[in-house]
Amino acid sequence: MAPDAASPAFPLPLAAEAAPPSGLLHRAWRVGRRRPAALVGATIVALFVVMAVGAPWIATHDPVRTDWAKIRKAPSWAHPFGTDDLGRDGFSRVVWGARISMQAGVFSILFAMAIGVPVGLVAGYYRGALDQLIMRLTDAWLAFPFLILAIGLVTILGPSLTNATLAIGLGATPTYIRLTRGLVLSTKEEDYVQGARALGAGDLRVMTRHLLPNVASAILVQATVAIPTAIIAEAVLSFLGLGVQPPAPSWGTMLNAAQQFLEQAPWMAYWPGLAIFFLALSFNLAGDGLRDVLDPRDY
Amino acid sequence: MIEFLVRRAFISAVTLLLISLIVFTGVRMIPGDPARVLAGTDADAAGLEEIREKYGLDAPLPVQYLRWLGLAVTGDLGESIRTRTSVAWMVATKLPITVELALLSLLVAVAIAIPAGVLAAVRRNTAWDVLASGVSLCGVSVPNFWLGIMLILIVSVRFGWLPASGFVPLAEDPLGNLKRMVMPALVLGTGLAAVLMRQTRNAMIEVLSADYVRTARAKGLAQMAVVVRHALRNGLIPVVTILGLQMGALMGGAVVTEQIFVLPGFGRLIVEAVFTRDYPVVQGVVLITASSYVLINLLVDVSYSVLNPRIRIRGTADGA
Repeated sequence: MAPDAASPAFPLPLAAEAAPPSGLLHRAWRVGRRRPAALVGATIVALFVVMAVGAPWIATHDPVRTDWAKIRKAPSWAHPFGTDDLGRDGFSRVVWGARISMQAGVFSILFAMAIGVPVGLVAGYYRGALDQLIMRLTDAWLAFPFLILAIGLVTILGPSLTNATLAIGLGATPTYIRLTRGLVLSTKEEDYVQGARALGAGDLRVMTRHLLPNVASAILVQATVAIPTAIIAEAVLSFLGLGVQPPAPSWGTMLNAAQQFLEQAPWMAYWPGLAIFFLALSFNLAGDGLRDVLDPRDY
Repeated sequence: MIEFLVRRAFISAVTLLLISLIVFTGVRMIPGDPARVLAGTDADAAGLEEIREKYGLDAPLPVQYLRWLGLAVTGDLGESIRTRTSVAWMVATKLPITVELALLSLLVAVAIAIPAGVLAAVRRNTAWDVLASGVSLCGVSVPNFWLGIMLILIVSVRFGWLPASGFVPLAEDPLGNLKRMVMPALVLGTGLAAVLMRQTRNAMIEVLSADYVRTARAKGLAQMAVVVRHALRNGLIPVVTILGLQMGALMGGAVVTEQIFVLPGFGRLIVEAVFTRDYPVVQGVVLITASSYVLINLLVDVSYSVLNPRIRIRGTADGA
């Protein structure tokens, strides 16, 4: 029962944890040079972040202001992405849409991690009946197709951005439970964890100080590849009318409107779709690069 | 082998029970009187009483669950609030359309993914490999509903080659049916192809470096014979597992695809049910989808334990 006395006794893992900053940056640079696609992906993700954060300054028009004189106008200098069926500026709506997509993509995965990682940690650390129960529930949860589960949850919770984010997050949670549990199972047999335990470190300390930092990078990599899936899921839910509600500018709802005017105003369908595609693609590219940076053992 | 099958079936049964528990709890989380949730807002007192009686809504929750489960197992999934027809019947009439779509998509996916994956593995680190990986990455990143909209825009609106929407039963007009199924199957199939192609490539790379493949080459067999007859057979095993696991994504994807191409399958059924707050239908569709996912994956596992002796023997230690 002397958790604090235990810490100076095993500087090895702590030193390994403390060392990375310069090493990590260096490796990121090397990976970036070797895999320019990953660098391009990361840059585009960064641009989307700037777009999401700076939407009020980047957008040229109010994204929800309708203008009956400008209904379904083709792209022009004043409206580079054209206007929609209510005369709203396409460019400004795509820019504001980045905020909604990023929000749904990032927060849903953060939510999934916030539940999945601790549960997986506990299941993998304690094993036994608790682990069996958690894993069987996880299996059952995983049997629900992601989108069907999200639709079911939104039916119960009601359609909105927050509920869609929650539903997507809950759908992604079992992945983190499984991943964390699997990583913990192998990591907890390592000598330094055994050492920490032998020195009297409590369960909580072993889990948070020794196991978590060592499984974090794999979880982070998984998160990067899960975000594009979550972004697409939000767009799908909003497209079906189960996510963001009009008039809020979501890429999914914009595509829903666009589908009704394919003959008269095809440009309404181009930009929101391209935005989803580029954002998802760049996250996937950046994720591949991140895996190289954080987990060089794989390569 | 028997032990493996029994164990695998037991785990699936437990999973199915938990699924039913989750679905039951989900519907009970809807605020308001459960009788009203299941009978609809415009049900009269007699209708509410009937529902209360049928599901034993006055009994304690565990009893209610068991009664509901008993009914569900015998195929009684309740009645649609909107149409007053049985949910099981509604699903049974819509399912063939979704199954046809899923099978055609699977065909598209396999036809693209396997040759492309094999080519990428055989010509590893060449321009072919890079091209295949690039296309696969794009395939994973593109939202399939947008791909559907773009296809309609180009193929139907611009060139008028294929009808943009609607459905004709296969038995009535096979050609008309196929014409309307081509685009939805392409949209749903290409997303799956992207995932499958990556798996095929990785599996083939591993198999191609195996000793028995080297032996086959050393014997002087032609490249084609080595790849197709020796490597592909074993390389496809993990791909089939992934295919089973991807069935969930296929069912989810069918929901959106049916919505875009106005196909009256069960994906459309669930979306309409959500909007009309037809909870028994949503509950039934979700329960059937998740259960069939578990059963499909059980079948996939069992089928290979029969086909592949190595898995049959090692499988006993396999928890999943």
